[in-house]
Amino acid sequence: MKRPLRFVSAAAALAVAIAAPARAHMTPPVALASERDAVTRLLSGSSRYFVREVRLSPAGKDAIRKRTGWSADADYYRFYVGRGTDGATIASAVLLTDFTIHGPVRAAVALAPDGKVKGVLLVEVTEETYSWVKPLLDSGFLQRFVGSDAASAAKSVAGVENAMARFYAGVIAGLVGRAAALYEVAISKGP
Amino acid sequence: MRGVHLSGLPLSAKVFCTLFLAGIGCGSLAAFAQASTAVGISPSAVKASLAPEMPMTALAHGQMTAEKEIELGQIPSAADRVWMRTPLLIQTSHTHLFGQTLIAGLLALIFAFSGLRESIKCVIGALPFAGTLLDIGGMWGTRFLSPSLSLLVIAGGSLFALGYVLISLLSVHELWFRKETLA
Repeated sequence: MKRPLRFVSAAAALAVAIAAPARAHMTPPVALASERDAVTRLLSGSSRYFVREVRLSPAGKDAIRKRTGWSADADYYRFYVGRGTDGATIASAVLLTDFTIHGPVRAAVALAPDGKVKGVLLVEVTEETYSWVKPLLDSGFLQRFVGSDAASAAKSVAGVENAMARFYAGVIAGLVGRAAALYEVAISKGP
Repeated sequence: MRGVHLSGLPLSAKVFCTLFLAGIGCGSLAAFAQASTAVGISPSAVKASLAPEMPMTALAHGQMTAEKEIELGQIPSAADRVWMRTPLLIQTSHTHLFGQTLIAGLLALIFAFSGLRESIKCVIGALPFAGTLLDIGGMWGTRFLSPSLSLLVIAGGSLFALGYVLISLLSVHELWFRKETLA
């Protein structure tokens, strides 16, 4: 009996040893809105909806990297464009994700035809991240970005006191800045 | 194994083995429920969660931009479904490979003391290991090789479940309903 019990004890000890560090990994995703919900809310007032997919030229990627420090290396980027009955663009929305040590943060950003931010919605975080992001959402932090552009989005973080909340405010501001730069390079000036 | 069989284990070992098998069974049911709500348990649901996102427009290779009118209903609406991008796939892979392989190992450890023929024990005991590799391998294949490989994820999960059920039924039968025989 002693031999098999020794086997079982060793296996159980190994399981505990491996399970402990596994607890330090990303927590499950928290979906705050669906892509459709985000687009519908951000492009409110539109009567017709279009999807516009763009690939960036090397020069476009370089311009975005210089402006935001972000390597826009996806195969293509998708904008949802809302237009009025007269065909005039009301706003365009793009969804971008940043991967932090705690998991993905995904935001939907609406941009007016002049490239200024019209609205921001957080679409997905993780369970752990949510506890730091919720106070930001409750305080109306996302409203700070309205009217900002790629250069000024980062300044919206000022005044956030909690260190982790400030970190995630920076992550969100980074996503807004990327979206604005992407719009400017891919839509306003063409890919 | 070396003259020690499940039927001959002391009462405490029989109780612990049975509780372990029951616990893993409950865990497997919870995992099944989680998988069916977060992703779905059909090949098409796995494909939708794992396969690379395809353009909604007719954006061809090398084309710089394309646009088309859509209805709002065409925009993805499943906020409760996980869209598994590569970082989440990496995380899921390593936690599941460690976790499921450990479970498969402990199941195999119990099953190694079954009185069945070695060849039968090898085949049945290997099912949870093979299922795990097929499951996780299928996830990577779906993402990077072909969306049609989503079938492997379902097959892998089913193989793991089949292995667990066979090991549990045979082990519990030997633990409690079979008289000890001298090797």
